[in-house]
Amino acid sequence: MSHDGHHSIVIPAPGPEFVPHTVAHHFDSPVQEFQACKLGFWLFLATEILLFGGLFAAYFYFHEAYPETFRLGGQQLNWKLGAVNTTVLLLSSWTMAMGVRSAQTSQKKATILFCWLTVLGAAIFMGIKFVEYKAKYEHGFLPLFGGFEVADWFKDTHHVMKDVPHGHMFFAIYFTMTAIHGLHVLIGAGLILWIIKGASKGRFHAGYYLPVDLVGLYWHLVDLIWIFLFPLLYLVP
Amino acid sequence: MTTHTPHVDVHSGAHTGTTNYLNNTSGFMSWAGTLDHKRIGLMYLIGVSMAFLAGGIFALLVRLHLWSPDGALFTNEAYNQIFTLHGAFMVFLFVIPAIPASLGNMVLPLMLGAKDVALPRLNLLSFYLWVTGAALAMYSILAGGFDTGWTFYAPYSLYTNQAVISIGLGIFILGFSSIFTGLNFIVTTHKLRAPGLTWFRMPLFVWAIYATSILQVLATPVLGITVALVALERTYHIGIFDPRLGGDPVLFEHFFWFYSHPAVYIMVLPAFGIISECVSVHSRKPLFGYKMIAFSSLAIAIISFLVWGHHMFTSGQSTYAMFAFSFLTFFVAIPTAIKEFSWVATVWKGSIDLNSPMLYTLAFLIIFAIGGLTGVILGVLNVDIHLHDTYYVVAHFHYVMMGSISLAFFAGLHHWWPKMFGVMYNESLAKLACAIIFIGFNATFIPQFIMGSRGMPRRYAEYAAEYQPFHQASTIGAMILGCGVALMFGYLLASLFAGKKAMQNQWGGVTLDWMTPTPPPLENFHQTPVWRGEVYDYSTLDLRSTQTPVS
Amino acid sequence: MSSHPDTAHAHAAHAHAAHGHGEGHHHVASAGLFLKVLIALLFLTGITVGASRVDFGSANMLIAMLIACVKASLVIAIFMHVWWDTAINKIMFLGSFLFLSLLFAFTLADQATRSWDGPISVQRAPVAEQWHHPALADKKP
Ligand SMILES: [Cu+2]
Repeated sequence: MSHDGHHSIVIPAPGPEFVPHTVAHHFDSPVQEFQACKLGFWLFLATEILLFGGLFAAYFYFHEAYPETFRLGGQQLNWKLGAVNTTVLLLSSWTMAMGVRSAQTSQKKATILFCWLTVLGAAIFMGIKFVEYKAKYEHGFLPLFGGFEVADWFKDTHHVMKDVPHGHMFFAIYFTMTAIHGLHVLIGAGLILWIIKGASKGRFHAGYYLPVDLVGLYWHLVDLIWIFLFPLLYLVP
Repeated sequence: MTTHTPHVDVHSGAHTGTTNYLNNTSGFMSWAGTLDHKRIGLMYLIGVSMAFLAGGIFALLVRLHLWSPDGALFTNEAYNQIFTLHGAFMVFLFVIPAIPASLGNMVLPLMLGAKDVALPRLNLLSFYLWVTGAALAMYSILAGGFDTGWTFYAPYSLYTNQAVISIGLGIFILGFSSIFTGLNFIVTTHKLRAPGLTWFRMPLFVWAIYATSILQVLATPVLGITVALVALERTYHIGIFDPRLGGDPVLFEHFFWFYSHPAVYIMVLPAFGIISECVSVHSRKPLFGYKMIAFSSLAIAIISFLVWGHHMFTSGQSTYAMFAFSFLTFFVAIPTAIKEFSWVATVWKGSIDLNSPMLYTLAFLIIFAIGGLTGVILGVLNVDIHLHDTYYVVAHFHYVMMGSISLAFFAGLHHWWPKMFGVMYNESLAKLACAIIFIGFNATFIPQFIMGSRGMPRRYAEYAAEYQPFHQASTIGAMILGCGVALMFGYLLASLFAGKKAMQNQWGGVTLDWMTPTPPPLENFHQTPVWRGEVYDYSTLDLRSTQTPVS
Repeated sequence: MSSHPDTAHAHAAHAHAAHGHGEGHHHVASAGLFLKVLIALLFLTGITVGASRVDFGSANMLIAMLIACVKASLVIAIFMHVWWDTAINKIMFLGSFLFLSLLFAFTLADQATRSWDGPISVQRAPVAEQWHHPALADKKP
């Protein structure tokens, strides 16, 4: 038998510090809502994989075409800062996983704490990224202010790339990939802040933690992409 | 008071009187902020129809310009912009969203017995993304237009002094509109099917939309990153696609066609779905080879990712890659031929009702056979070297995109019009319009096949005088086609004000979309229906119980 | 598939959801496992840096990508819970890598085999240097 749609299904709050969740009226059950939203989010993540995939294909394409440019270009990056940033992102991925786990087990304070730690990781990551971008810009490697010709941004101030063909090519790829990745870090941090807001109102608990779960998946994807970017850009093989 | 058919429990709820999705609420915000898939589908229908009219006007301008060999109307620069606008409007604003976003939105949840799509707010967001993309396209015209062709090939698109970035952003946004629609339909099909409606009991329109959605989700992001890179090239000249800077325009073509070949199937698979429905309902026969048609949709979706290089046979790609792409292209013909064969076998010895949706369907079957087979010819590597970028290619893809997809869209529009609005259009005018469109279409594009095979290149504003008779025949055909389409929109719109009341189940369909009240109420079904028995089982339908007029 | 709108049933659904019987999507992984994965990821990052110091020739790329794939698999399987997720979610997400591999395979295969061609590539090669856009007529590359 099915209900007639006039009554809503409510998932009760597990404690006084939480609020109940009302299942959207076009779903027949909480399980259906959870599974539908989660499948939708996995499909969205699949589109992200394909979107970044195009950039990775471009990387391999030009790494094959100009191996010397890429090797020398990679040496201009500070691999220690890259390694620190990798560690920061891996740690933040762990705190996010723990944040989701805390929501699953109705631990309100832990959820909020782990989410804040993840945002902290995002902030450190972007801070280090800013330091790196600044240095690269001063070396004439980064296109931050537009220009009609490549010479307007690729100045190669210290002439380190002058002996390899198309020296700007590595930095073009580096800039494109890290800028789009950085944009995802910022969006992810914004989403986690939104989760923190909801969590402090007690919206997320064992009965309903779907948004925490989905934002967590998004954050892990950001980490996932960086796992490949780090060796490809900072330790060019 | 309930309408029962022996194989499905649906409580149509006649007690609710005349409240339906069109009149249950009113006011601007009840439409602009609606989460109802039917209202969103209807807004899409209005939007894509306007894009179709705009694209059609550009097409007629192109044809008029080509009346004389030195160009009758425009400067060469203006001509370049107009054919680009025709292509971009038709592809990105009309053909890709047309069937899934309008008719798919309207019908898919009905066919599944669902109250709505799985993610209604995302559905509304996709609509507004479409509107934003359309607005950016309009802005790009005002900002000077763009003359790259709808393909935006590098390196020309990196240097032309026109509004490429704004239209690129528009296409990026339209891409996400398409992605979110596809994502929504996949989730809806997986999670919101009515109890008892197993995968092999789903109508084939649902299968077709499902396969389309997979393509939308997996292929469109690559288009997004490609236009983003073109925008970066134009602002920073990073050089990835620019041969002057060590980049490779062939890489652009790889990225572009990785999307745009599957995009052909994003466009045509929903058309296949409509044809499957129409062929079955209007022949009153279950589909011949139901499972083969269902699986061939998935097969087409997968194979379409393996053949994109057949658009690049003269672009400087490796000869060995061309061998592979040409070889793989022939495999597309297998599932496509399975479909065509199954449709014809369904019509065979059916009790065919030659009403207007069926006439559009039969026109599709003829035109698609020509469009598909000329595609196989173009897939032959050495033949394509000769025919590449000629009017033969133009005629081929118009047989697929205009002749097949638009005719299927019209068939679907006529098929579900009574369902959507509860009124019937003038059937005699509909038959007349279908005949005019069929004649006009062939008159437009058969001459293009001939002059293309004789070497007339596409996209030229001027041409050698020997091609003039073909161009003039084509232009006359386009005018006839334009009149047919204008007539069609005319009587469809007129039916909204002066149409006869439609039947509850106008055509005697046996899928769930015909089991709701007509037009459907807000949440489609007053109770979640329970499906029993097989799909397309006409033996169980008691026509007398369903063919009552709309109250 | 059915559910009653009354709270008793909703409560049952909630209990079901919280304990995750049968559906396989409400799995709560142990904190210890997460910690082990984190340590493994950090360790593998060290290995990546170390391996890049040694010259394995063209195998360096392969090694770096293999380690990255192991790290990615850990994140996907454990942190993203894919190991315990439903079959359809696994197919949809992991399938995207399959389609991505098609983009990689054909594009890079085209590039790798372009130099195998004979005279055609000789004709093609100078195009990059000769090409000038009309808009750039006054500027030499
Ligand atoms: Cu194609």
